[in-house]
Amino acid sequence: MLAAYVQYWKINLLTIVEYRADFFMWFAFTVVYHGTALAALAVTMLRFPSMNGWSLREMFFLYALWMTAHELHNALFFNVVSVPEYIREGRFDRFFVRPFDTLFQVLTVPSRTFPDGFILGLVTLAIATHVADIHVTPFTVLTIAAVLCGGAGIDLGISLFVAALSFWLIRVDTLRWIVMSLEQDFTRYPISIYTRGVRIVLAYVLPFAFMNYFPASYFLGKHDAAFGLSPEVGLLTPLIGLLWTALSYAFWNLGLRHYQGTGS
Amino acid sequence: MFAPYIEYARKAFAREATYRIELIAEIGSLVLRVYLLRSLWTALYAHNAAPTGLPLHSMVTYTTVALLMSLVLEVDGTRVIREKLREGGIAVDLMKPIVVPFAYFSDGIGQTLLHAAAIVPSLLFALLLVRIDVPSLPVLAIFFCSFALGYGVNFFVNFLMNGVAFWTLETFGLQLIVRWISDLLSGQILPLSFFPGWFGRAVFALPFAAIYSTPLLVYVGIIPPAKWAAALAVQATWLAVTAGASYLLWRAASRRVVVQGG
Repeated sequence: MLAAYVQYWKINLLTIVEYRADFFMWFAFTVVYHGTALAALAVTMLRFPSMNGWSLREMFFLYALWMTAHELHNALFFNVVSVPEYIREGRFDRFFVRPFDTLFQVLTVPSRTFPDGFILGLVTLAIATHVADIHVTPFTVLTIAAVLCGGAGIDLGISLFVAALSFWLIRVDTLRWIVMSLEQDFTRYPISIYTRGVRIVLAYVLPFAFMNYFPASYFLGKHDAAFGLSPEVGLLTPLIGLLWTALSYAFWNLGLRHYQGTGS
Repeated sequence: MFAPYIEYARKAFAREATYRIELIAEIGSLVLRVYLLRSLWTALYAHNAAPTGLPLHSMVTYTTVALLMSLVLEVDGTRVIREKLREGGIAVDLMKPIVVPFAYFSDGIGQTLLHAAAIVPSLLFALLLVRIDVPSLPVLAIFFCSFALGYGVNFFVNFLMNGVAFWTLETFGLQLIVRWISDLLSGQILPLSFFPGWFGRAVFALPFAAIYSTPLLVYVGIIPPAKWAAALAVQATWLAVTAGASYLLWRAASRRVVVQGG
């Protein structure tokens, strides 16, 4: 399985060498996407220096933490998003006749992915950590790495859940689109700016707050104004990522047993 | 003479209307954004001094109206050019006894009208979350004129973007890049007056400002009646420039339609 995975990345890298112009365009796309989000944040906070007690430097770190975890998810697990399409077009069925786990096969469909966004995220996060004056020890590096993995796990858990729904429902694109835009928009700010119901959703139902808000509060030594929780809650991120992934994987397997194909 | 174009618009309207769930999702996601931006600006105004001339209720009105406008302005009426180029349909269209850009414009209008219909339910849901200032009738009238000019500029900017496909055949990534930059520089996300220093003055000089910023500033009253004529004249100039550029691009492009195998 590991050998097959290594082979997959080799193919990916070779296709990128083949389609260089495409690669650069999509890289520019990633840069502009995050660049405009950060620019909008910076312009806003030049006029309004405090976002519920968070400064621009802290907001930059909050964004960088989400961005890096999200890009890690995109680099490793982006194909999960294509599952509804595979099912609709009947391309999913071939995964059943091969001797690998179906999810593993989904993740290794060659798709010209390259961890460029993740690398960009790491650079941004390093700058943001420096700018936010976080004292970096080997322990910090380890915990940040664990939080990033946990954050990618939360992302994976949620996208896998939506993908597994498509074993029952043929069209989930709209739902996925809403969840994605919810994530992108609502993770940009500290959750303390929202009303209580929305905070609860972001912390406990779709736990995006664990991708950046709680861990960022921990690293920045900030008091949690949303729930009054102790900052160490931010260290639960890896656990929550694992839990969400495990639950979604179980749900995915349940869906597989139910799946009968669309007949296309 | 106009009959075929009206038919194009009608067809586009009907085509878009089949994507009902998508439309409902669009409304849902818009309402979520209204909530998000209300929370954002309320928090920002609570902890900071308000900028002069723009109290919280004006700011909330600004962002909510901007979101409603985006229902119409984010429809890319000229996407059809890119699709026709890829699939070869453009060759057939060029043989028909129609002015092709007009046909595409009509198609865009049809799509726009359907999305414009979504404004009403979106507005009703938005009103559950926020209060919007309603200006006097003359202001509203000028706002709609300015919005129409902005729609035109937006159409031709999209036309130019999609027109690039005549040379490269693949423009989707490029187009999204331009879309995000334009969202930021058009005043859709933030009032352009928030941009600092020379950059703040420069953004007003770009065509993007004609799309969202001018109508919105008329709406919230930052552009006073005395300056209406000048503001709309600038928009009209950009409309003429982008339309002229589109005409030149179209003339050059239609001579070099190549058939992509397949």
